[in-house]
Amino acid sequence: MLSIKNLHASVEEKNILKGLDLEIKPGEVHAIMGPNGAGKSTLGYVLTGREGYSVEQGSATLDGVDLLALEAEERARAGLFLAFQYPVEIPGVSNLEFLKASVDAVREARGEESLSSKDFLKMAREASKKVNLPADFLKRGVNEGFSGGEKKRNEILQMLLLKPKLCILDESDSGLDIDALQVVAEGVNSQRSPDRSFIVVTHYQRLLDYIKPDFVHVLSDGKIVKSGDYSLAHELESQGYAWLKDQPAADEVAEG
Amino acid sequence: MTEQIEKALQREYEAGFVSDIESDTFEPGLNEDIIRRISAMKEEPEWMLEWRLKAFRYWLDMEEPEWAHVHYPKIDFQSISYYSAPKSMKDKPQSLDEVDPELLKTYEKLGIPLHEQMMLAGVAVDAVFDSVSVVTTFRDKLEEAGVIFCPISEAVHKYPDLVKKYLGSVVPQRDNYYAALNCAVFTDGSFVYIPKGTKCPMELSTYFRINEQNTGQFERTLIIADEGSHVSYLEGCTAPQRDENQLHAAVVELIAMDDAEIKYSTVQNWYPGDEEGRGGIYNFVTKRGICHTSAKISWTQVETGSAVTWKYPSCILKGDNSIGEFYSVALTRGAQQADTGTKMIHLGKNTKSTIISKGISAGRSNNSYRGLVRMNSSAVGARNFTQCDSLLIGDQCGAHTFPYVESRNPTAIVEHEATTSKVSDDQMFLCQQRGLDPEKAVSMIVNGFCKEVFKELPMEFAVEAGKLLEISLEGSVG
Amino acid sequence: MSSWLSSAVTRAEAVSDWLAPQRQASLALLRDAKWPTRKTEAWKYLPINVWDNTELQADAAESTDATSGVIEGLNSLDLVFVNGQLQSVPGDDLPAGLTVVSLADASGDARAWAAETFTAVKPARHLFGLVNDVLATQGVLIDVAAAAVIEQPIRIVNVLTKGYEAHTRVLVRLGEHAKATVIEHYVGDQRSKNTGFAEYKVGDSAYLEHYRFALQSGESLSIGGSHFELSARAELSSHLVGFGSTLQRVDVDVTHAGEHAFAKLNAIYLLDGKELFDLHSTIEHAVPNGTTEENVRGIVADNSRAVFNGRIHIHRGAQKTLAELNNRNLLMSDRAEINTKPELEIYADDVRCAHGATIAEIDKKALYYMQSRGVSRSQAQIMLNFGFINELVDQMPNQVLADWLRPQLRDRFAGMEVK
Repeated sequence: MLSIKNLHASVEEKNILKGLDLEIKPGEVHAIMGPNGAGKSTLGYVLTGREGYSVEQGSATLDGVDLLALEAEERARAGLFLAFQYPVEIPGVSNLEFLKASVDAVREARGEESLSSKDFLKMAREASKKVNLPADFLKRGVNEGFSGGEKKRNEILQMLLLKPKLCILDESDSGLDIDALQVVAEGVNSQRSPDRSFIVVTHYQRLLDYIKPDFVHVLSDGKIVKSGDYSLAHELESQGYAWLKDQPAADEVAEG
Repeated sequence: MTEQIEKALQREYEAGFVSDIESDTFEPGLNEDIIRRISAMKEEPEWMLEWRLKAFRYWLDMEEPEWAHVHYPKIDFQSISYYSAPKSMKDKPQSLDEVDPELLKTYEKLGIPLHEQMMLAGVAVDAVFDSVSVVTTFRDKLEEAGVIFCPISEAVHKYPDLVKKYLGSVVPQRDNYYAALNCAVFTDGSFVYIPKGTKCPMELSTYFRINEQNTGQFERTLIIADEGSHVSYLEGCTAPQRDENQLHAAVVELIAMDDAEIKYSTVQNWYPGDEEGRGGIYNFVTKRGICHTSAKISWTQVETGSAVTWKYPSCILKGDNSIGEFYSVALTRGAQQADTGTKMIHLGKNTKSTIISKGISAGRSNNSYRGLVRMNSSAVGARNFTQCDSLLIGDQCGAHTFPYVESRNPTAIVEHEATTSKVSDDQMFLCQQRGLDPEKAVSMIVNGFCKEVFKELPMEFAVEAGKLLEISLEGSVG
Repeated sequence: MSSWLSSAVTRAEAVSDWLAPQRQASLALLRDAKWPTRKTEAWKYLPINVWDNTELQADAAESTDATSGVIEGLNSLDLVFVNGQLQSVPGDDLPAGLTVVSLADASGDARAWAAETFTAVKPARHLFGLVNDVLATQGVLIDVAAAAVIEQPIRIVNVLTKGYEAHTRVLVRLGEHAKATVIEHYVGDQRSKNTGFAEYKVGDSAYLEHYRFALQSGESLSIGGSHFELSARAELSSHLVGFGSTLQRVDVDVTHAGEHAFAKLNAIYLLDGKELFDLHSTIEHAVPNGTTEENVRGIVADNSRAVFNGRIHIHRGAQKTLAELNNRNLLMSDRAEINTKPELEIYADDVRCAHGATIAEIDKKALYYMQSRGVSRSQAQIMLNFGFINELVDQMPNQVLADWLRPQLRDRFAGMEVK
């Protein structure tokens, strides 16, 4: 489904990704772990087309479609979804209005009929129930005044509505208490299916106890330096990343 | 409580003494002949005289600016003397030993020892007394590094090419009324040139002193920092206590070439006039710098003196990635009026400017911040941040903010914030409850309010600035 | 002096209605007035010569249906001026406590209070305010009796069509504890000139909800102002929406004349094409204990130019004043221009005053966030711009007006492009 080959990318003229390879097949869940500054968040931004991140070399395709040639919204419509580590607040734009525009755009791209306002509202309400957000959050400005946990749940809510092919969860577990963590994990698990894949970017093994990944990769200094199965996560948890020390870490700035 | 604070702010003007020095002073009056005589006194080349006369002709057609938030009677430019020099300066002293001891005493009284052995290590001083530069210290050491630091009157003779090229290049003769006047009648001031890649080995400093009655002081400072060089320059000013107002109309031009950095600090303590507003200096000054690529100019000022201040140290951020900064503390009390601020003109890409202004008003004074931030259409990615805070002490003063913000580039970001506060009874009570007397409490609160600016001053000046504020609060409580 | 101004003075000298004595002081000021130049601070950024240089040619064919502007669901009491002529005055079926008369037809008590209010609230410093003082023979006088609560919004519509010059005046008086909603609504996109000034005296503990929709566009030239005097404990909630045109200038002045008054002022301006819009506001805190909250937001696109001058003046002795002004702008193109000047003039120490002004481009992070959810860049821009403005629209107490306004704002954003 996702095929990344020799990806080199930089931000503000600093090389962050330095030849990353990753193959993900339909239905697989891949965890990416690694120390701060390794380029974990950068990978998500580069794949989704954030401004300021430039690709120097390599390729990334989703079901054969060259992602790197597309605008950010076209990548989203092609089925790519990034759950942000720090979702931005957009005062004045209501959550509902934003979600409707987003769902309309993605459905249109998939050749599906647009939903009536009534059907959409029903769907949105159901989804917000699933992630444990009160329905009145839909009327508030996008992420405006949301707590950290509410923002993360709002991200999962969007994932439920957009039904992407490939979801990247960027440290969706950071700053969450155990209840919120379970909500996020349940949201993800409920969406696991043979034709949907996940990349779970995380610092800790905690989230992986709830979302059991098929593969675990260690990203360090812009490259995947080790891959394994679920047990690798445990190994990292007990040993830390100290053994990576002799590999120079990329600048912290890149993680922002 | 307010009364206590008020009292805490009353102070003596310590620099108010008059030096008994015989001077050669022109009779009052302003005309082409006077300008010719100034030029002749300085034995200037013809081109310099022509330049002055041209400025004078512009000036005759210009109008005195009235937009500032200050009020003062119309200045009679014919009643001012435009040249005054200590007699002893006639045969220029070759070394400090030849300088009139009375003159040296004046500077010592002001806390500016000119004797090199007495001097704070690492500060070279140019002392300007009325219309002439008295002495410039540490010249040999500076010359070793290739740094030129001399009176501008001397630079006109010794470095005519540099002077011709840069004089008036940042503040043109026609720039404004007082600048034009300065161009016509300037008498002395400092000239600095820092060669390519040189970090000036010591702080440079000029002290300006007005002594003679009914004279104006019109100094001119020109600082050129060549590519990749660094310099920190300090300026201080005082004047005797007199009942009449005296005019000070200076021009300062800074040129920061590619990658150069100029830090210009001022502690302005001209005589502010008495409580009733009698006497004091009219401080009408034009200061401006130009930044070429990746250059930086930083203005820091502590303004406590003058009856009326009209002053806007500015930066033209011409080169890409250049930086302009303005840090200001302005304290007005009694009947003082200050209208001061800055202009940041962003022309280059990714230029950045920061403005931090702290105004403290007490007594019946009026203290205004006036600033301009302009983002030209070429200023892609430029940024400005401005913070203007006013502290009011007592209910008879005024604190005002007049920021002009102009933007023509969609990628430029401008942020301006202004707040006002007072020294609150709660703050005073807390300090007193912890054993501080009101005087100390006010001084502490005021110092805290100014902290962001003081930390930008070179160390020697930071101490002086803190002291200045403290003096303001001295002899106070009852 | 401009030729237009001298002709205005000549025309004014011929005005001989019942208000003529009250017009004399303004006429005297106008005779001595200087035509603004770029050096005139109050007109620094607005090329006012356009007013002088624009020739008007009336075109009878361009008539307007005066009823076309009804706002669905608002059920407002509409007073319509077409090219400066008041079309009709409502009959006797007005809500209790409300009196509305045409300035031209005023008599008795209406004349008395109107003569007292005329030029008493509006500051004399405004050149075109003076013009309006001497030339506005058409106008309405709205009087709300003490304790009267008028639920029905009163809407004053000014329709301008090609070639006309019009000067209209509105005087409003709210008695103690009275409540009312007044909407000043300006429309027209043809080449025309108008001045429209309104003076509001808001009595003790009265509540005024005010809207000024300065929606003239195209080639129209419009200069006007809404001026308020607040008595003790009075409350003002004022909402301004401005579109640009060849020349638009609006002044909003509020004087806190009684203690404990509260003023909320919101303003929005949206400019496109080669439009100009200049908003000046002055808040005079003349007495202690007043509160002002002012929020001004603008979006400036293409080749347009916006000017905002927001002055807060705390008079000597006006202790315990709370005054805040916030001005935020989005600049959408490198040919557009914003000039903003928030001013504080403070003569009292025990006050809390702050102002802030920002100019920025559209929030790139939000843009990317929306794009990453599949929303196109252009749609995301429209939504973000709308959201930026909508925060102030949401604060309008009258939902019908907010709902009526939103699609118009959206239409305007749809035409704007980030460059």
